[in-house]
Amino acid sequence: MSRSVAFLSLSAARARRTAPVAAAVVLLVCVPLGRYAAPHPPERTVAAPWTPPGGRHPLGTDVLGRDVLSRVLAGGTQLLTLSLLAAAVAVVCGTALGLAAGWSGGRVARGVRALGDLLLAVPALVLALVLATALPGATAVVVAAVLAGAPLTARVVGTQCAYLRDSGHVHAAVERGESTPAVLVHEVLPNLRRLVAADAGLRLVTALQIAAALAVLGLGPQPPEPDWALMLSENLPGAALNPWALLAPAVPLAGCAWAFAATAGTVAHTPREAV
Amino acid sequence: MTTRTPAVREGAAVPLLAAEQLTVRRAHDGATVLPAVDLEIGDGQVLAVTGTSGAGKTTLLRALLDVLPDGLHRPAGTVRWRGAPVPAGRPARRWRRARCGWLGQDPAADLNPLWRVDRLIGEGFTGDTGARAQRVEALMQQLDLPPVLASRRAGEISGGQAQRVALARSLCADPELLVLDEPTSALDRATADLVAEAVRSRRGVPGRCVVLVTHDTRLAAELADRTLVLAVGPRRSTDAEAAPGPQLPAAPAREPCTATAVRLRSSVPPATSAVPATPAKGPPAPTEAPAPPPTAAAPTTEGASRTVAPAPSPAPVLSTRGLILLTPDGTPLLDAGDLDLPAGGWLAVTGPSGTGKTTLLHALAGRRPPAGGELLLHGHPLPRGTRSRDRRMLRAVQLAGQDTVTELNPAHTAGRSVARPLKVFHGMTGAPGRHRARELLEAVGLSTELSHRRPTELSGGQRRRVVLARALAAGPDVLLLDEPTAGLDPVSARLVLDLLDRLRRSGPAILTVTHDPGTAARADQVLHLTGRRLTPRPPTTPDLSPEQRTEPSGVRQHHG
Amino acid sequence: MTLRAAGRALRPAGRAVALAVAVTAVVFTATELLPGDAEELRTTGRASQEEAAAERDRLGLDRPAAARYLDWLYGLARGDLGHSLAGGRPVAALFAERLPATTALVAVALAGTVLLTAAALAVTYLRGGRGGSAATGLAAVPQPVHAAVLGAVLAGLLGWLPPVSLLPSGGSPLSDPRLLVLPALTLALPSAAFATVLLRGALGDVLRRPHVADARLRGLPAPLVLHRHVLPFLYAPALQVTALLTGGLVAGTALAETLFGYPGTGQLLVSAVALRDVPVIQAAALLPAVVLLLGMLLADLAARRTTATGPARHPGPALPDAPRGGGR
Repeated sequence: MSRSVAFLSLSAARARRTAPVAAAVVLLVCVPLGRYAAPHPPERTVAAPWTPPGGRHPLGTDVLGRDVLSRVLAGGTQLLTLSLLAAAVAVVCGTALGLAAGWSGGRVARGVRALGDLLLAVPALVLALVLATALPGATAVVVAAVLAGAPLTARVVGTQCAYLRDSGHVHAAVERGESTPAVLVHEVLPNLRRLVAADAGLRLVTALQIAAALAVLGLGPQPPEPDWALMLSENLPGAALNPWALLAPAVPLAGCAWAFAATAGTVAHTPREAV
Repeated sequence: MTTRTPAVREGAAVPLLAAEQLTVRRAHDGATVLPAVDLEIGDGQVLAVTGTSGAGKTTLLRALLDVLPDGLHRPAGTVRWRGAPVPAGRPARRWRRARCGWLGQDPAADLNPLWRVDRLIGEGFTGDTGARAQRVEALMQQLDLPPVLASRRAGEISGGQAQRVALARSLCADPELLVLDEPTSALDRATADLVAEAVRSRRGVPGRCVVLVTHDTRLAAELADRTLVLAVGPRRSTDAEAAPGPQLPAAPAREPCTATAVRLRSSVPPATSAVPATPAKGPPAPTEAPAPPPTAAAPTTEGASRTVAPAPSPAPVLSTRGLILLTPDGTPLLDAGDLDLPAGGWLAVTGPSGTGKTTLLHALAGRRPPAGGELLLHGHPLPRGTRSRDRRMLRAVQLAGQDTVTELNPAHTAGRSVARPLKVFHGMTGAPGRHRARELLEAVGLSTELSHRRPTELSGGQRRRVVLARALAAGPDVLLLDEPTAGLDPVSARLVLDLLDRLRRSGPAILTVTHDPGTAARADQVLHLTGRRLTPRPPTTPDLSPEQRTEPSGVRQHHG
Repeated sequence: MTLRAAGRALRPAGRAVALAVAVTAVVFTATELLPGDAEELRTTGRASQEEAAAERDRLGLDRPAAARYLDWLYGLARGDLGHSLAGGRPVAALFAERLPATTALVAVALAGTVLLTAAALAVTYLRGGRGGSAATGLAAVPQPVHAAVLGAVLAGLLGWLPPVSLLPSGGSPLSDPRLLVLPALTLALPSAAFATVLLRGALGDVLRRPHVADARLRGLPAPLVLHRHVLPFLYAPALQVTALLTGGLVAGTALAETLFGYPGTGQLLVSAVALRDVPVIQAAALLPAVVLLLGMLLADLAARRTTATGPARHPGPALPDAPRGGGR
């Protein structure tokens, strides 16, 4: 009996773990396809501004009388692509820095730590805004996400790498005469997979936040473009007339952020043998 | 001794504390952790609760006080104080606060490290400030705590002082019920005596009683009016009879059985009741019975490239001359250490922990180069650091570390771990490499399907074998082993040692560092590392197998 | 004692100053060295080549970047933040005008953060240090979403508040506190979630300390256990988190103020970015960084007074007898 109870609780735990991962995958697959499911062209005015939901417009219309549902369906691709790109660059840079710091130790590690302290003293949003002065919005998002995220990645990767550096299998590889890159590739990196994957989820959340903030502040995609974040700022003044024009893009945006963060959490806490 | 139990009973007085049918179950699967227990403590009495570890002594205490940890609950049973039931929850909490004094297993850790000593001792005192200060002062004096300590924080006093502070705290409010959970196990002698004295002084005092949980039957016999013995197993002897001290089971006779019971229990974790109540007098500790099965057909799995012939040759494979070892912070560990390891020989280096045994191995392997001295491989100088050794030298000396958890790459299967040196040293890749890796794993006694498992899916003994197979895959001339039996149960340890015995006949010489006499007994020669010197010692155990005894003639030549 | 104490206090202070100087370098580099300069915008591209050159000369844009950086740093040290390229007014005056509004907003948001975090942690404490994945999710949600949902619900569906917080010109933000609600909540919700995530771990660690279990065992009521044996251990991490969050809140005003039309320094930063008004951007970008560094320094100094790290005792086998429950 105790066995079956244990089995049940195990599968419940597994369901809790897989739900965010499944949600993240579904979102990443479906969002780019949403455009083709839009009932109206997302950039055409079809009714009076901020018409409440009803009839042919299940979520009403927005500031210029465009169909909210169509714009929500069409609006996530650019945001997600940009966030994914920014997170990927941040993770690659941070992992490289962390490996360098953790493997070399000493002065390199101190340098990386100091750089991290410095970059973390400037809030990411401010960094993005300052960068947006001179760079196009998308580039500013990527650079800001890298500057704000890579130091954190470098910190966790560096700590773990320094730990692995001193474990028996790495020593054994060094004593086999393997080159440093070979040791890093065969002995260190495979053991950082989970850590880096979990960290990537968090970097993705940061990138999404920066991208959304810049878009809302008018430094991202420009007005006719359907974009979840841009829709938020466009429709805020009409909150009293059609609140659904605000809630509709807010829900998928929040869903993405939640799914990525929760995925990171489950990856970080899943027992080892599950992978 | 004071009043015997019957006297109290005859007075028909209501017992101070009574529990009926106290039962504890695990919440998630309903397993019984503590079967129904009855107990009674009369006025002025001391009740001792004894039993082996895992018998549920602490659980009983916590059930009594209604402070069971998460995951355990008390589905049945009542606790009565002076005849009135104490329901679980808030009434029980109030009762604890008003009536109970408590001293836990590690009392020093139970003190809030931010608080001053006087505040800690007086926290449970209910009188006014002046009375409290007086009481605290008196207690500190009584327990030999200097008055200057009163203004120190708990984090700033010594461990022994902290223990006495904890004792003072449990006595401060002069509780009617004093509860002690293994109070003497973590205490120093003087404090343990103070605890015993505190219990003794409450004996026979009206309106006071003591519950004492201990595994120390002598202490229980000395202090208690009655003893409750809890036993592991389905048929618990809930022996709440008035059992004055002398009738206790003779302690010395039970000692080995108790140890076995503990060992059994820890290897079968979940089901308490599945463990036999009284383990049969088991065989003597397996570590003391080496007796390697001489019939074991030594599987001769020759490496692709062996440089040393199996026959022992007089020239040592590995030698050191004037080896100087330091700790990382520069403390000397070994001054001028000489050793010689003959081909096919087995040399054990023993010594207390911290004397530099592992450092010696690391120096030989080149992981942490020695501070001075000379290393010789087949009579030729061996560079100190790994980076300056050529591939042949790297191959010849293989180290298998102590910690099997970090020794293997958690991301790689056993087969892959073993295949890697085959590729690096012998250029064996693809199918031949995998095949050879499986052969090596079989040679160390691991079946083929285990080669697809990762370290976390293997037991400690299996991991140890994988580490050995990985070292063997290089085809070494010298195998350096750091505590090859550490963390293994006696049976696995013996299997690993037997394996080493077989292996060295067909190939590498073995150098182990160990503090385990059973391991040292297998070696041809034992060196003792102590006082920064390597000194020879004859093999400790006489009953070596005949083959081993034939050889030591050529081994004793390390004075160089 | 005094010398050593002074040394101990000066060390983090020196570190904070060094970091602050480094931050100015980062901000200067980002605004000055990247392609595109303010002069183009100032003359809106209509100026002839000669006029543009004269303008560049007047602004000193032809001098080496290092020299301009040192000039700027020297000005900062004297409290001279330069002049706005867009209106020619001193940056300091622009800030002085808007700082009270932003200060009020950040103060209200910080108060909200503290209250919400305390409530969330109280729930965590009552549940024995478990749960709270909602906070993780809430902290991940981008701030504009918080703004939109709050706006849609409070101003739209419920109609309690005006959707934009336009202040009457010259009006104090305190004249109509309702205008503060939406931007302050937008700032407070995510930062409270973040603080909860950070402090939940610290709380769990304290609750696992043996002296807390011991206090419960001795029958102390839960509020007393919390007050005497748990909270004192949380002051230091709470101070650090507060410092971190205050910097984040000041940065977040850029978003909240712009979205709700609240006239503060955050809005100033965003409009300066749109105009490429470099001196204003530089000053506005330094503000949150300086607040953060100052807060961390204060938290660091305060933490030295509240933490006493005793000898690290092993946690101790609390219950060697009892099998551990599966719920974890």
